Amino acid sequence: MAVREKLLIAVDETETSMHALRYVAQVASGMQEMSICLLHIYPEPPPDYYLKGGTLSAYKEKQDAKAERVFSQAMTILAEAGVSKERLSTDNRFAEGKTISEELLAVRSEGDFGTVVVGKRGVSRTEEFLFGSISNALAQHSVNFTTWIVGSDDY
Amino acid sequence: MIIDWDLYPQEIVPNLKRHRVMKSIRHQPRIFTDTSDFTSITYGDIIHIDGRYFIIVGHTREGRFGIDSQIKPWVPRVNDLMSGERFIIKLVFHETYELTIGQLKVTCFRSPEKEARVLELVNDNPYFMHGRSVLDAADNLVRILDIVDGRRLDTHIAKLGASHEEYMTEHLKEMLVRFLTSVAGIRLLHDNGLKHGDIRRDHIFVNREDTTFRWIDFDYDFYIPERPYAMDLFGLGNVLLFILGKQNFRVGDVVKHPDMGEKVMKTITTNDLSLISQDRIFNLKKLFPYIPDSLNNILLHFSVGTQVFYNSVAEFQDELQQAVDTLP
Repeated sequence: MAVREKLLIAVDETETSMHALRYVAQVASGMQEMSICLLHIYPEPPPDYYLKGGTLSAYKEKQDAKAERVFSQAMTILAEAGVSKERLSTDNRFAEGKTISEELLAVRSEGDFGTVVVGKRGVSRTEEFLFGSISNALAQHSVNFTTWIVGSDDY
Repeated sequence: MIIDWDLYPQEIVPNLKRHRVMKSIRHQPRIFTDTSDFTSITYGDIIHIDGRYFIIVGHTREGRFGIDSQIKPWVPRVNDLMSGERFIIKLVFHETYELTIGQLKVTCFRSPEKEARVLELVNDNPYFMHGRSVLDAADNLVRILDIVDGRRLDTHIAKLGASHEEYMTEHLKEMLVRFLTSVAGIRLLHDNGLKHGDIRRDHIFVNREDTTFRWIDFDYDFYIPERPYAMDLFGLGNVLLFILGKQNFRVGDVVKHPDMGEKVMKTITTNDLSLISQDRIFNLKKLFPYIPDSLNNILLHFSVGTQVFYNSVAEFQDELQQAVDTLP
């Protein structure tokens, strides 16, 4: 059963993601019982990546380094808002054979996270159709957990 | 020109001597076992793969709509010098390019591996082109394709019915029933983690013998990690638009149409246009008021004004099946 106080935040290097994090920092800093997991997910490399001589290990190394930068930045924001390090954890995942949103939902389910937080990009309908929307996918699947979809206004 | 016949295996010499290509060739045919440099393999040359000898009798062509067709040097038409059978051979060409859709760009690739996987999956499926994949001497994944004896779907539809209304009454249901088999074929690919990659109205061939619709050309792939099948869905919407309209209509076509003109054109809004490219009218009800709502509503899912998208081919297929079932 999902635990409401276990909060999963999807993070990447975008400003949208950092907005969502600042929102959580403000809301959650005073909630001492809440644990926060920072989740970074990266997709499979493009099909021509290997043709150009790329290797999967090199790709993963690059993505791992990116995740570390994102985690570091996110932890700084949360620490400045008074969230103690003991309440934080990180998870970096490779969405192999899955979409980002499928991997996110799988992590949520595995960890019994009761609350999921994502930032919402301002995308056109065309972009949403072609490139998808993780926040929409989450909203559709939020049956036994709660999703916070954080818009890109300043908080 | 004097040909040195001793350069060829004895089993192909009689047929090679008799082959029509030998009457027009201006060079000694060369035998290629490594097809890496496909640009150097030309008319009259022989590709030796899979234990067979294929003589090149021409090349296929393809054009984007409105653009003159271009020769595809990596896709020769061939004859098997032993059996005399005709095939199309696809040689490896790792092309990458950016497809512009409206204001968006999607990176597209040619993927011989993906096409080989599709060919294997649909080997017994009558709604797809068939063929087999073999490695040449340099490990290039070459596809030997059966030729679909038929014509492009758009050419086929253009010849049906004297008017749109007559086409709707006499032919539309049959076209849609057949199209549903094509949609089921795409669903099969997606269920197996594969895409078609280049769904267009000229990539369905209507088989001459039994008029089944058959998908061709599966070597395109694209990189959209979150919505991997969105481009295929968009393609299906475009094909359905053509089937329902008997042609595609841009605003200029409406103005010029004798039964429509400015009066109809003034009713068209941005919301009626294609969600992706905004160049063609998806709300066909405004052009042909007699089109059933159930069919037009499917088209509207691909229009600028839509509030709801199809997330899968299964959703599209289910709604289309229901709409077709209600047609007289």
